[in-house]
Amino acid sequence: MISLSSFRSILENTLFVWLGLALILTIGGDNLFLPEWLQVIGRSHPLILHFPIVLLLFGLLFFWIPNLNTKKDLKEFGELSFLLGCNFAGITVLAGLILAQENYEGAALDWHKWAGLAVFGLSTLLYFFRNQSIRFSKSLSAIIAVGVLLAGHWGADLTHGENFLLAPILKEEQETLALNEAEVFRDVVQPILQAKCISCHKEGKIKGELRMDQIDHIKKGGKSGPFVVPGDFDNSLLVTRINLPMEEKEHMPPKNKIQLTDEEKTILMDWVYSGASFDQKLEEIDSQTDLFQLASQKFTTTENYDFNSADPETISELNNFFREVAPVYPGSPALVVSYFGISAFDPSSLDELKAIGEQVVQLNLNKMPLEGVSFGFLSNFPNLRELQANFTNLTSDEISEISKLENLTSLAISGNTIDEKSLESLSKMKSLEKLFLWQTGLSDPQKDLLRNQLPDTKIEFGFDGRGVIYDLNSPTIISEINMFADSTKLEITHPIKTVEIRYTTDGEEPDSTSSSIYNEPIWINKTAEVKARAFAKDWKGSPSSSVLLFRSGNPPKELKLLTQPNPNYFGKGELTLIDQIKGKNNHTSGEWLGFQDEDPEVEITLADGQRPKELTLSLLYHEGAYIFPPTQVEVWISNNGNWEKIVDEVPAQSKDIKPSRFEALNYDMPNKEFNKVKIKMKTIKSLPKWHPGAGSKGWVFIDEISFLD
Amino acid sequence: MEKEIFEQGLNLNRRKFLSKLSLGVGSAALGSLLIPDLFKGGSPDEEAIMSALPHFAPKAKRVIYLFQNGAPSQLESFDYKPLLNKNIGQELPDSIRGGQRLTGMTAGQTSFPLVGSYFKFNQYGESRAWISEIFPHTAGVVDDICIIKSMHTEAINHDPALTFFQTGAQVGNRPSMGSWLSYGLGSENSNLPAFCVLLSRGKGNGQGVYSKLWSNGFLEATHQGVQFSNSEDPVLYLKDPKSMSRDERRKMLDQISAMNDLSYKEFNDPEISAKIQQYEMAYRMQTAVPEMTDVSKEPDSIIKMYGPDCLIPGTYAANCLLARKLSESGVRFVQLYHQGWDQHGNLPSEMALQAKDVDQASAALITDLKQRGMLDETLVIWGGEFGRTNYCQGKILEDNYGRDHHPRAFSIWMAGGGVKSGMVYGETDEFGYNISENPVHVHDFQATVMNLMGIDHERMTYKHLGRRYRLTDVSGHVIKDIIA
Repeated sequence: MISLSSFRSILENTLFVWLGLALILTIGGDNLFLPEWLQVIGRSHPLILHFPIVLLLFGLLFFWIPNLNTKKDLKEFGELSFLLGCNFAGITVLAGLILAQENYEGAALDWHKWAGLAVFGLSTLLYFFRNQSIRFSKSLSAIIAVGVLLAGHWGADLTHGENFLLAPILKEEQETLALNEAEVFRDVVQPILQAKCISCHKEGKIKGELRMDQIDHIKKGGKSGPFVVPGDFDNSLLVTRINLPMEEKEHMPPKNKIQLTDEEKTILMDWVYSGASFDQKLEEIDSQTDLFQLASQKFTTTENYDFNSADPETISELNNFFREVAPVYPGSPALVVSYFGISAFDPSSLDELKAIGEQVVQLNLNKMPLEGVSFGFLSNFPNLRELQANFTNLTSDEISEISKLENLTSLAISGNTIDEKSLESLSKMKSLEKLFLWQTGLSDPQKDLLRNQLPDTKIEFGFDGRGVIYDLNSPTIISEINMFADSTKLEITHPIKTVEIRYTTDGEEPDSTSSSIYNEPIWINKTAEVKARAFAKDWKGSPSSSVLLFRSGNPPKELKLLTQPNPNYFGKGELTLIDQIKGKNNHTSGEWLGFQDEDPEVEITLADGQRPKELTLSLLYHEGAYIFPPTQVEVWISNNGNWEKIVDEVPAQSKDIKPSRFEALNYDMPNKEFNKVKIKMKTIKSLPKWHPGAGSKGWVFIDEISFLD
Repeated sequence: MEKEIFEQGLNLNRRKFLSKLSLGVGSAALGSLLIPDLFKGGSPDEEAIMSALPHFAPKAKRVIYLFQNGAPSQLESFDYKPLLNKNIGQELPDSIRGGQRLTGMTAGQTSFPLVGSYFKFNQYGESRAWISEIFPHTAGVVDDICIIKSMHTEAINHDPALTFFQTGAQVGNRPSMGSWLSYGLGSENSNLPAFCVLLSRGKGNGQGVYSKLWSNGFLEATHQGVQFSNSEDPVLYLKDPKSMSRDERRKMLDQISAMNDLSYKEFNDPEISAKIQQYEMAYRMQTAVPEMTDVSKEPDSIIKMYGPDCLIPGTYAANCLLARKLSESGVRFVQLYHQGWDQHGNLPSEMALQAKDVDQASAALITDLKQRGMLDETLVIWGGEFGRTNYCQGKILEDNYGRDHHPRAFSIWMAGGGVKSGMVYGETDEFGYNISENPVHVHDFQATVMNLMGIDHERMTYKHLGRRYRLTDVSGHVIKDIIA
């Protein structure tokens, strides 16, 4: 066990060892060859540096305790801490000096190195002269404390990047440059060199005899050759060096420095490829190149305005339910004003905008009733660039006020009538880049005139529909019920009120000359297919729409199902077919009987004295749901048991898949005595080849059998 | 009910307990650990993110998204592949399919015969883009649109794919794109919702749309899409009852609002303040909506341009016209869905009908915005949730074939709002199966839309259940090449 005093004297002696070694390393510098194991010690620098910071600062505190000399133990403790701190400072300095051999360079390193050495040197000095005057020790301790902090700060800059500590509070307000003002070298290439290269290639530290801090020097190049040769990758050292593999010694930036991003590399190479110009404007480059694409994002295409922002309070006061006032984008002094709500529009509110008159660059008054509004308020907006006033009933006086806006570049006044006087005003607006004049009643010669007078303005006259002939859409036929006893009312409508609607009730296609014209609701008193079409000038006649209406006639006395429908489509059983209710256009509505495995067969007993002239079978066809016409229909009549076949036919069969629809099969009844009717139908046993379910069984759906007298 | 009475008696429920708990600093810290959302909205980084929105000068102020629900075939619209016509009936080479998984609908199919479009293609405009004959009006505005032929997605079935496109995740419960933009940018016009939804249905085989697609997810309820009805009154129940005057309505709302205010002060439930705002907006919508939806003042040329169907509420054409009117009135995001594009079979007939439904009105919307000077500030998007296979589902017939779902390559188009016009971006291989250049993932698409609206998709986040969410999840690159 060594005593405290001998431990102290050992530590005092080692201080000189560290001092000596530090002296050798500092003077020897780059010329020394260091074995690899020393590198390990060097790299422990960031680890051990924490000891001296704490111990030194702690030890320094004791120099400030009043009357320390009278407190022996305390003094001893403080001195020991400080001594230990000095030793660690020495070790840290040594490790740091070794580490500095590993490709670290730059101003930050120099500052850090000398600050560290100074701390170590001064601390050693203070330790040995600690008992001189109190004034001396106090002031020196303060200097050392500051030195510790500064060395630490510069060290942090080295490992974490420049100004790591203060970055969060030193946010730089960067002015975004307008795209049309940006220069390729000054604003795109140079900032990259500045950030990634210049720390080693500048006055005072000219690595490879290359300086990048002045254009002349960049043009001259360095020791190994030219920095850039326009359009020549092979001879431009900038290009070859940044593209060397990381492991190569010549790779730039050096491997422990912050590397170029892929984007930056592309920009630098494209710059060389495009001629390495030092004064070209960004806009002069082909916009398809990567250089332009990447670089242009850094600049704003929006205009930079030279006026100040309006008072935020004024802006928020002007915002309300019928008016929005907002900056073009956050931070921009320029404002956009939009009006909404026609009924809430108050012309006098336009004058309120005077308070922000200088800042308003866009004004949107679309659809506001502006007729007769005094347009003097426009003179409040010297910086107005864009005005939208479509469909606002502008007068020629108002348009003449608008034409006085000198900075206006875009004007949208579609939907306003433009007379000769307004045309004259507009033709003076040479500053306009875009002009929107759809639906303004201008004739072709007037349009040409305006085009000639404003050759640099893009004028949009829009779509006027003249000479374009499209199909009208079908009218809508509205019937209260599809099945009626005596008669039913029918209305036909079309969304365009001015069209002519023509209709037929015999299933024929209506035409524009001979078919009946629809003026008022019509009455239908027999089972009929009503078809209607719409016609209008400048339009092609519409496709027809149709509806099938069923007259139910008188119900028979009784109906018996001889075969049973599928249990899933059983409706209300027998009653379904004679309840005089038309099923909906949907076979699952419960108003239909569906037959698949069995062929439908029914027997009907007529009411007393009933002598029907016509029989109607109401069916549903829907090929997509496998519902087809029957393949055969037979009708039999009997007068007291003698059955006679009066119909045996194959109804029209489906040829393709159509939407679900009603169909009626009508048969005349013979002028004979009969009191019973039997109807037999056959379902389709094998769906045709064109159907997705070819070969499967089909269905027959029926909802009503009616007899007309 | 009993629970409520009990809680009222105790004057205590979970929310109240927690809000009292949070009075003490220590318990507040505990509370925030247990319930991360307790201090939701107040987190400084979120405020910083929001106050900086938009993140840069926006190119587009508004979006109209014409969603073609069911996935229209790219091979019959914008991706012309003559090789498929030449090699009709031949097997899709395994090297091209590259192990692509199949849907349940063709998994049982032993053969994958190639089939080309039965519709003819032609080149149009200055961009010489190929467009099929069933889109003649779109061909007419080809120099105003940017066709992206290299979209790809991760999902293979409708619902996940649709949800992925709209919310950035295949499962539900995330906020929709429109909700994100409503949250980020708010509404221009405070009398109308920032996010409106319009539905229509075509004649082709359809797939459902569900309200989760326009859900606000974990964002506040005010950012939910407002679905417009397909009837004469697009917003239902907006009219006052006959006996009620507007003054009386105002008085009633003031009373309700005062009561809601009281319970908001007591419970601090954000849903209550959302409710108050919704009542107020509904009141203003009573005048704003009829003004806005009124078609009677539209000139005849508009009817001709959109097609006369635009006068029939609930049709795609009517919705396109309404979308223009909403956009013109400052609605930030108008989302249309047109159903019926799922042509597993009957492709030639159904697709022709579907195209007829949407072609004219979609093109008219572009022209209409353009002639009002609004196209520059309005982004229009047209497209489905994925593409369709280059091989036939089922048998190839003389006049019929079908196509299954295909996530690897499909086409959409965008127009206006800062997108380059007259451009075709991306390319697929000659089989139309894989992307050969410039792939655009759904997240890339979303990032690009956000960028056009002035938002950095990586910076606009919302913290929910302990993690930050964004529309593009953890990926997505802005497609700078298509930005003007």
